[in-house]
Amino acid sequence: MGLRGWLLRQAAVRPRVLVACCPYGTRARLLVEAELDRRGWPVASAPAEAGLLVVCGAPGAEMRQAVQGVWEAMVEPRALVEPASAVSREEVAAALNDAVETLARGGTPRTGPPPAPPAADMDLPGGVPMAGRGPDRDGLTLDRLHVPLGPVLADWPAGLVVDTVLQGDVIQEAVVRALPPGEHGTPFWAEPGRGAAARLDGLGRLLGVAGWPWAAREARRLRDRLLAVADGGGGRGGEVAGEFRGFARRVRGSVVLRCMLRGVGVVGGGGPERARGDVLDRAYRWVEEAEDAIGGPGRPGVPDRLPDRLPDRWPDRLPDGLLGGLLAGADLAQARLIVASVDPDLERVAVRRG
Amino acid sequence: MGEAVALVLALGVLAWGAAALDARLGGAGGWGAPFREAARLVVQRRRRTPLADTVLVRVGVVGLPLAALLAAVVLPVGGAAVLDLGVGVVWFNAMEVCVWGAVWLVGWGVNSAYPLVGGYRFVAQGLAYELPHMFALISVALGAGSLRMADVVAAQRGVWFAVWMPVAFAVYLVSAAAMAFWGPFGQAVGRDVAGGVPAELAGADRLVFLAGRYALLVVVGAAAVPLFLGGGAGPWLPGWAWAGIKTAAVVAGLVLAGHRVPVVRVDRFVAFAWVVLIPLTLAQLLVVAIVVLP
Repeated sequence: MGLRGWLLRQAAVRPRVLVACCPYGTRARLLVEAELDRRGWPVASAPAEAGLLVVCGAPGAEMRQAVQGVWEAMVEPRALVEPASAVSREEVAAALNDAVETLARGGTPRTGPPPAPPAADMDLPGGVPMAGRGPDRDGLTLDRLHVPLGPVLADWPAGLVVDTVLQGDVIQEAVVRALPPGEHGTPFWAEPGRGAAARLDGLGRLLGVAGWPWAAREARRLRDRLLAVADGGGGRGGEVAGEFRGFARRVRGSVVLRCMLRGVGVVGGGGPERARGDVLDRAYRWVEEAEDAIGGPGRPGVPDRLPDRLPDRWPDRLPDGLLGGLLAGADLAQARLIVASVDPDLERVAVRRG
Repeated sequence: MGEAVALVLALGVLAWGAAALDARLGGAGGWGAPFREAARLVVQRRRRTPLADTVLVRVGVVGLPLAALLAAVVLPVGGAAVLDLGVGVVWFNAMEVCVWGAVWLVGWGVNSAYPLVGGYRFVAQGLAYELPHMFALISVALGAGSLRMADVVAAQRGVWFAVWMPVAFAVYLVSAAAMAFWGPFGQAVGRDVAGGVPAELAGADRLVFLAGRYALLVVVGAAAVPLFLGGGAGPWLPGWAWAGIKTAAVVAGLVLAGHRVPVVRVDRFVAFAWVVLIPLTLAQLLVVAIVVLP
């Protein structure tokens, strides 16, 4: 037990963290992400990889079920942290410290009996429904898998689920829906002065999905610093604006990014104005809008408190028809880019609905 | 025997360094990070997905570091290679191709959607990088007039192949990253598919898979040294030191590129490889052939 205990303590110093965000949990998520970045804890992209599950905000019924599934898929040693949407920075830090101690002691044990082995059945081998078959886009008969994307997925909008029918890695059908929230609150990004930070939050997800770790991290850091300035918490707007210019130059200058995002998820002239063009157009538009709000080159007089006149991105309803249309026929990589570039904010959508 | 031990030790140290640099660039700790991750995976339980083909998964997981090691035995680390084959270049390429099998077995065997997609991506990527990669290797073999690694190094006493075959060298570096499904060519283990091929692996399985991937990255980086960078040649220091320094530089460059360049999607990479890289490497091959004509 001595060696195992020592290894457990070593491993607990930097757990891998899977973050699940519920609608209205954005504030908690930002605090958690900033704290993880400060501590240098790596973020996991799958349950099997993670040792610590962080659920930000209050889950609704279906989200709770999904979180439960993820928790069961995680292997021991594991720990769970559930910061409420109104959590403070100190509470987040304390909860993460507690998680380290739990993990060092061997993690949260499993409660209840282990899942029963599935019964043998011809139609349901192992209790898993067989994938049906159907013709694919090349006229081949391939397995059709029903794979839901979300709600617990790295760099994924909170509360969104896309039920897909997959053949290979190509989406044949996609149904986009918003999970009912577990609580009601004020949409985080609707507060004045947060428009530029909201664009950077979206860019962080998009660049993460585009597989550019440096830029994704930089976008999140700038987002946090902008929020600190906007809330009067610290930092000078001029400094952030300077760093943002460097970031914007790198994003616009990347030839690989341009080649990869060009021509993906094209929304024609009939679509909503803010979604027009391809994924690259939408990404550049966010950079430009954030630049306008912060004060880019040739925009004199950068104030310390940032003016922010940015309009909402998705003011009225979930763009489910638009997204569903774009996703059908896309492969998974393109689909993730499309979702990240449309990036519906379900906190606002849910408010308008309710 | 001594050479084999030295090779394994050198591989281990360099793979450790690559993992540590990777963690540091990602903001997740320094030199202790690979150790902590290994400790975590050692104490973590293994995991079984429903109806997984456990035998295939294990073969794939163990096959990854094994293929890397077998590819490494023909590399002259400073002095002589562990296995001084007359067809060393071909052996190296053959062992790399075994990686396709290993990765596909893991992706397919765990019976889960995201790893399967990762497996598809890697096989498609193989179609993109393998031909340019082989033409780059053929340029080297043609320039040296031999398939033996030691002869390739000896042929670079005057001028490094990287200098007079720049296209082959550049294509080799691209295909090296693609072979180790690393960085810009890491779509098979992409964040957009929840980590791809190893998404369902935990505990010892994950540890062996990840260690194998870093080892593979080091081996494809190390092979650039005898193939293009003059092997252990250099002033003052002994051959093994120069080989180590050059290898570390190539691997560090690959790790850095992994953080600084967005992922290249396989569908676009295939088009680029067939339309741009293959003609380029063929032109390079032609130039080399004209130069070495007696």
